Amino acid sequence: MIDRTALLQQLSRVCRSGHADGLLPAAQPTGFDALDTRLPGGGWPLGALTELLSACGIGELQLLLPALRALTRCGRHLAWIAPPYPPYAPALARHGIALKQLWILHPRDARETLWATEQALRCPSFGAVLAWPTQAGDKSLRRLQLAAEAGGNLGVLYRPVAAAQNASPAALRLLLHPADDGLTVQFHKMRGVVLGSAHRVHCALAHGIA
Amino acid sequence: MLWLCIHLPHLPPAALTRLAAWAYQWSSHVSLGQADAAQVTGTPSSLWLELSASGGLFGSHITLLANIETELTQLRHRFALGLAPTPEGAALLARAAADAQLDTHDALRAWSLAELRARIAPLPLGLLALEADVLQALHGAGLRTIGQVLSLPAAAMARRFEPGASRHLLQLLGEIPDPRPAWQPPPIYRTRVDFDDDLHDSLALLFPLQRLLQEFQGYLRATDRAVQRFTLQLLHRRTPASRLDIGLSQPGRDAVQLTLLVREHLSRLVLTAPISALILEALEFVSPGIVQTDFFGGDAQKLQDLRQTLDRLASRLGPQQMQCLELRADHRPEYAAAIVTAFTTGATRLATAAGIEPHQPPRPCWLLPEPRRIPAPTALLRGPERIEGGWWDGDDVTRDYYMVRGADGERLWVFQDLHDGHWYLQGLWA
Repeated sequence: MIDRTALLQQLSRVCRSGHADGLLPAAQPTGFDALDTRLPGGGWPLGALTELLSACGIGELQLLLPALRALTRCGRHLAWIAPPYPPYAPALARHGIALKQLWILHPRDARETLWATEQALRCPSFGAVLAWPTQAGDKSLRRLQLAAEAGGNLGVLYRPVAAAQNASPAALRLLLHPADDGLTVQFHKMRGVVLGSAHRVHCALAHGIA
Repeated sequence: MLWLCIHLPHLPPAALTRLAAWAYQWSSHVSLGQADAAQVTGTPSSLWLELSASGGLFGSHITLLANIETELTQLRHRFALGLAPTPEGAALLARAAADAQLDTHDALRAWSLAELRARIAPLPLGLLALEADVLQALHGAGLRTIGQVLSLPAAAMARRFEPGASRHLLQLLGEIPDPRPAWQPPPIYRTRVDFDDDLHDSLALLFPLQRLLQEFQGYLRATDRAVQRFTLQLLHRRTPASRLDIGLSQPGRDAVQLTLLVREHLSRLVLTAPISALILEALEFVSPGIVQTDFFGGDAQKLQDLRQTLDRLASRLGPQQMQCLELRADHRPEYAAAIVTAFTTGATRLATAAGIEPHQPPRPCWLLPEPRRIPAPTALLRGPERIEGGWWDGDDVTRDYYMVRGADGERLWVFQDLHDGHWYLQGLWA
């Protein structure tokens, strides 16, 4: 006889991950082997929220570009909501991002940013939704997590490092630190995984040298 | 010939014209006129649609009629329909439908002249569109039904009454021609609705708007076009009109989609004064060829879904807040990219877009809107890259670019302007 508690746990995991066929959640490879081997599905979780807790200008966007390129090649669109600076087309084109599938949104305030992020996440045509919210309470983060589950897309929130102190319903939370030739990625939270002591990964970034 | 008469008593002339534009989607021969029995007043209150050529296009005449009835019901007009091989026959059946208080959605139909004659024979002669004194004389002679009038010898009718009376009967039966002027849709679309009582709540606009947009959809189908941009003006009695500019990510003509968009705009609107009238004006149309490839190319459902999401976002945020990136062929970094408003029409975007140069050195992901003056940096990580250009348009630059490390480990893209020797921050290697 099947252990009822174990079955319920398994069911709730399946429901959360939106996957009916197994325990591994859907994921988009990050393009960094060191990272992929550590992430539960072998990449950025799809249908879930990821938080990148980072300063600005240390390579935090380059960390995502291989995955974004793969998504646009499959015909998916990208939404970038409230980026801190104007994205620069030649750099993105060089990384292989299809510019025609990239939509930059500039909401006027924090509330609109959260609303727009939720709308974009709910639309499955967006392969990835990146947002730079200036504030995000627990309730709105939950809404975004649900929206990402509905849309099945890669939802990424860029937040300041200080936000690590507050709990979040995001499936994955990574702290990014600048390193000599790239980034050090520190695992802060990974749903379904108990983080051990060795939870730092180095990702070398070419800084545009593709 | 097969005529459908849509009898719309008490409809203001402007509304009838809008409905003519709507009706044009079903038939290229739409005629406005007066189908009341007493043809004394001049204002038209009926539409005639010649449908003999349309049946094949829309499956069958039965489904065509069902579609027309459904839309008229959605538009919430009080109407009566009559279908017959002659315009006057159709009008008479429509009057009969209205008078008999039948379920007005049920048209009285006569597909042939013989059927028409049989249908109208038992009807009271008062339904004939004849002058009152003619009707009275016929009644005085003991006649009660149309059948009895039609069985009178034509010569007797012609002798006894004005020539108009017998001509009417002959046209009714299709024995002499009854040409009807064809109404032409206007090349631009501008409609206005005046409200009897001012509206104080923008939500109260929704019903008249739905009707307006459904008529607009009919016009777009009729002229085989889609709309890219339109405006709504809410008129106030004393203050200037409130104007809503509504743009679509892709050309569209679906009334439901248009209504959703307008709703979003209205929900953001702060009403400063009561609304006395509404003007819908279409500014930018797209030809059918583009519409077709857009509608049917690729995965239609997903495309539709994406488009609706983009439109919803643009409606709430404002179209200026949505941008796309483009490459430009220029060596100067700030000229090598363009940020364009998302819903500029496809043609202009394609014409100016450039490709990426394969041997170009790397570039940062963020570019500051304007270079920012900084003190001379110390830790140069990479460089220099000399960039020169712009002598042709007066914005001549000569710069040496470097990657430098910032105080918090961030990587910055800076340059020294060789004209003035100063250092500037222009980008971040995010």
